[in-house]
Amino acid sequence: MAVTRINIGPVHPSTHGVLRLVADIDGDTVVDVQPHIGFLHRGVEKLVETRMFMQNPPYMEKLDYVSPMSYDEVYVAAVEAAMGVEVKERAQYIRVILLELQRIASHLLWIGTMCNDIGQMFTAFMWGFQDRDMVLNLLEEAAGGRMFYVNMRIGGMVRDLPPDFADHALGLMDYMEKRVKEYERYLERNPVFMERMKGVGVLSYDDAKNLGVTGPVLRASGVNFDARKNKAYYVYQKLHFSTQVQMAGDNLARYKVRMMEIRESIRLVREAIKALPDGDALGMPVKLILPAAKNRISIVSRELPRGECIMYLVADAQKPYRLSIRSPSFINLAALNFLAKGQRTADMFGIMGTLDLVMGCVDK
Amino acid sequence: MKIERELLKEKLAEMKKAGFDYLEKITAVDYSDHLDVIYLLENIEDGKEEIVEVTMPADDAWVPSVMKLFLAADWYEREMSEMFGINIVGRNAERLLLEKWDGKQPPLRKSFQWGMPYEEGAK
Repeated sequence: MAVTRINIGPVHPSTHGVLRLVADIDGDTVVDVQPHIGFLHRGVEKLVETRMFMQNPPYMEKLDYVSPMSYDEVYVAAVEAAMGVEVKERAQYIRVILLELQRIASHLLWIGTMCNDIGQMFTAFMWGFQDRDMVLNLLEEAAGGRMFYVNMRIGGMVRDLPPDFADHALGLMDYMEKRVKEYERYLERNPVFMERMKGVGVLSYDDAKNLGVTGPVLRASGVNFDARKNKAYYVYQKLHFSTQVQMAGDNLARYKVRMMEIRESIRLVREAIKALPDGDALGMPVKLILPAAKNRISIVSRELPRGECIMYLVADAQKPYRLSIRSPSFINLAALNFLAKGQRTADMFGIMGTLDLVMGCVDK
Repeated sequence: MKIERELLKEKLAEMKKAGFDYLEKITAVDYSDHLDVIYLLENIEDGKEEIVEVTMPADDAWVPSVMKLFLAADWYEREMSEMFGINIVGRNAERLLLEKWDGKQPPLRKSFQWGMPYEEGAK
């Protein structure tokens, strides 16, 4: 049969952004698929070079608008490393709590959009958004914003946690634990869901490493790597959690890794709230002119909800000379062609769903 | 570690055999008079990281492609060649991000001129 070339996009509702795919299909089998990216390219890496250090966090947040606080944190950590500033202990705990809440929110949104991709229309989507909204309420209490937060400062936070935050967070974690079970009962007993997930888009251990995929996609292929463990930062080494690894490497494994990560995040939030030390958590006040950066080059690596993000910062005294961002979605999308080859056209979207792409993060 | 670009492929192949088999990122920095290309490699089993740097004059920017060693290099090389005007020798690194851009002014070079109307850039 002749190979047909079809154009998909440039808009797809579940990609959290604008993506165009040009796919060659033979009957219903994908022969080749080329992603065309760049519709959301804003030149962030160039923009930050023209601004002082602390003018940049809002740009960072717009890279990944599903987990903005995580990106904000990586950038601030890179600046801290350049300036040689230690983060206060209480602020470290607060950051861990908020980042894990952000991870839960991001994964909940992912469940919804991924289920849309594989035809489990709208029930999971509504559930995911409803629960994510509760997490956002909590983040709003702590940071003052629902979508974008900009609540990191050099050496600490903008403000301390509000007094009743701990009660609210622990209450929500109990609720979330029940909900995760409900999600699993609802999805994993659904034969349509299981058939679309199991054995589809298999990525082997060696291929995963060779393709450089990261985050849950890497761990679902049996690679035991989590930057929170392997390149421990903040107080993660004092807290108890385990790296979630699955061996199968298919869609279902990627789903399972993320579901288990929600559980681990719940555990981390609870433990961090219990261990939260007293003291000061506030960072340096917002000023354009900060103490000059001591280190010319700093490399900071963080585990974001989508995978490992690395920022390579070459610092001038007061502003970035060059900021190179290794965005996790970028390299995960690069693996799409490899994964989708030989699969059915409809499964290509399921695979794309389990890669958890945010196009702002891909295009930069 | 700093290395000559002629020896890059052999060195990376050696390191891959020694366990650094996960390519995290290829990126470049423009220091006006010279360019640095940086390869971040990771040994996943024991979490060690290695940085390989290649320095080159700004007006003679090329590096050999390492795509045969690491598939991950594919998009990073394309991105780098587009953003810094670095030639990737040994493969066809077509454009990735900026469509309808003439590529005469690589955007992340320090010599990039701001405020040029889009039409002039796209000619």
